[in-house]
Amino acid sequence: MHRRNQGQSYIPYLLIFPAFTAVFLIAAYSVFWLARMSLVDWVFGADWARARWGGLANYIWLLFDPNSLLWTSLKTTTIYVAATIVAEFLLGFGLALLLNEKIYGRSIYTAILIIPIVLMPSMVGMVGRLYFNYDGLVNFFVESIFHVKLNWYGPELALWAVILVDIWEWTPFFVLIMLAGLQSLPREPYEAAVVDGASGFQILRLVTIPMLAPIILTAIILRFMDVLRIFDVVFAMFGGGPGTATTTLPLLVYRLTMVARNVGRGSAVSIMLIILIVTLTYLLVKWFERTKYEG
Amino acid sequence: MKYRKQIALIALNCLAFAAVAIFLFPYAFMVASAFKSRLETFAYPPIWIFRPTLENFRTILADIHIMFYMKNSTIVASASTILTMLFAIPATYSLARYRFPFKEGIAYGFLFLQMVPAISIVFSLFYIARTFGLHDTYLFLILCYLLWNVPYAIWMLRGFLEAIPVELEEAAMVDGCSRFKAFLVITLPLMGGGLAASAILIFIGVWNEFALAFFLTSTEARTMPTTIAFFLTHAGIKWGPMFATATLGTLPVVAFALIVRKYFISALTLGAVKG
Repeated sequence: MHRRNQGQSYIPYLLIFPAFTAVFLIAAYSVFWLARMSLVDWVFGADWARARWGGLANYIWLLFDPNSLLWTSLKTTTIYVAATIVAEFLLGFGLALLLNEKIYGRSIYTAILIIPIVLMPSMVGMVGRLYFNYDGLVNFFVESIFHVKLNWYGPELALWAVILVDIWEWTPFFVLIMLAGLQSLPREPYEAAVVDGASGFQILRLVTIPMLAPIILTAIILRFMDVLRIFDVVFAMFGGGPGTATTTLPLLVYRLTMVARNVGRGSAVSIMLIILIVTLTYLLVKWFERTKYEG
Repeated sequence: MKYRKQIALIALNCLAFAAVAIFLFPYAFMVASAFKSRLETFAYPPIWIFRPTLENFRTILADIHIMFYMKNSTIVASASTILTMLFAIPATYSLARYRFPFKEGIAYGFLFLQMVPAISIVFSLFYIARTFGLHDTYLFLILCYLLWNVPYAIWMLRGFLEAIPVELEEAAMVDGCSRFKAFLVITLPLMGGGLAASAILIFIGVWNEFALAFFLTSTEARTMPTTIAFFLTHAGIKWGPMFATATLGTLPVVAFALIVRKYFISALTLGAVKG
């Protein structure tokens, strides 16, 4: 279908040129600037003439210095990513299966589930901050049920408060995607399974999950790419604190660059974060494509 | 037997109702709190029945001039969405309809760029803005949003465009249309759903974006999400106005998303269901 289009070979480039310039000019310069800054020993506000080349000093400091928050931050990020994705997937899958039954008012329910996804994350964070206050809405329910109040603002629970907000915000994303997937599945395999006398659980395990697998994986990959770089909700709720409790990698970039004004170290973390996200996504997408072709 | 099935169905319906209610409740409570008086907003235990007041909305309209930020958000989000589409449509057409060297490389280049976290390059963008005197302008904010939105739109639209048979365009060209006209008259209308879906997601994304808006503007081009900073005062957090602002700021996108919910869900599931 392409072979008839080879007459004027410059046209495809001409069409892509505006988008390419708009995107790559600023982006390439930014990444180049970051890479250069990550090799410089400079604090924003200090005289630029005094800035010195530090070589890989910023990276070495981040990786090995006991005061560096890189490893704690990586741990926080891992907990955050793992907890949110596992919880959102399980809850989302459960709710999608539930809504796939004979439910009255399903279209109203799916409409309601859109709301958390489209809310302004910075506002979600701020409102979450009030709800998780000691005298807030969450503790009201916790106290009604368990007769204790929790200190969500403390270092032990702050991260979990953010995780709960994320779960509230993004479980509907999994529900909507998987519900659409469930409704697009063919009927025949189910009829065959019923004829063969399979139980409800067997049908779920042997028919639904394998057929839904590509959709489940896509939803997880999409969410994974996004959750690694969440800044706004965490920033609005706790700003990375108390202490370092909610300092995920994007928050670490903020703390080093904007708060400590150490542009060199901040840029080095930025570069590492970009490499981490791009590599992980690339591997995930490749793995996904491979399993899709084999399956 | 039939009786038991009906009970199970009722139980499932109750469960679904409860589950969805949990997702609606925090938002509903937020909207309700916007109409509470100052003391009622942080009362413990929470107050469920109260006499609604517009006090908080009066505060944000008069003291914070919230409509100014609503206007900024509207300008930036609309302009970014339109510009994104103008850049993305020709590029998508090129990727979907032609074969040329480095095509997939370029496509993946866009994809990887889209993955760069805003917070990681915001400081260099800030530096560029300062160098060119573009700090705190609509123009720079809109340009920066292109970095993420153009790749995003290209990847979304490509699927839609490739699903439309090229033969339709060729038939129009046989009938004497130019290639451009064939695209405009035949293909573009068929892509309507896809265009709407990606435009919606892009508009909502820009409307809600925080990190770039927060660090690349100060007074003139500030958008709604960054107004959260106004409610953190030394005397504590101004909860009432905060709730009112959150209600006002989320109202347009919630209304918008609910009106076009079919497109919205198809946009979300786009990559997923097509697989």
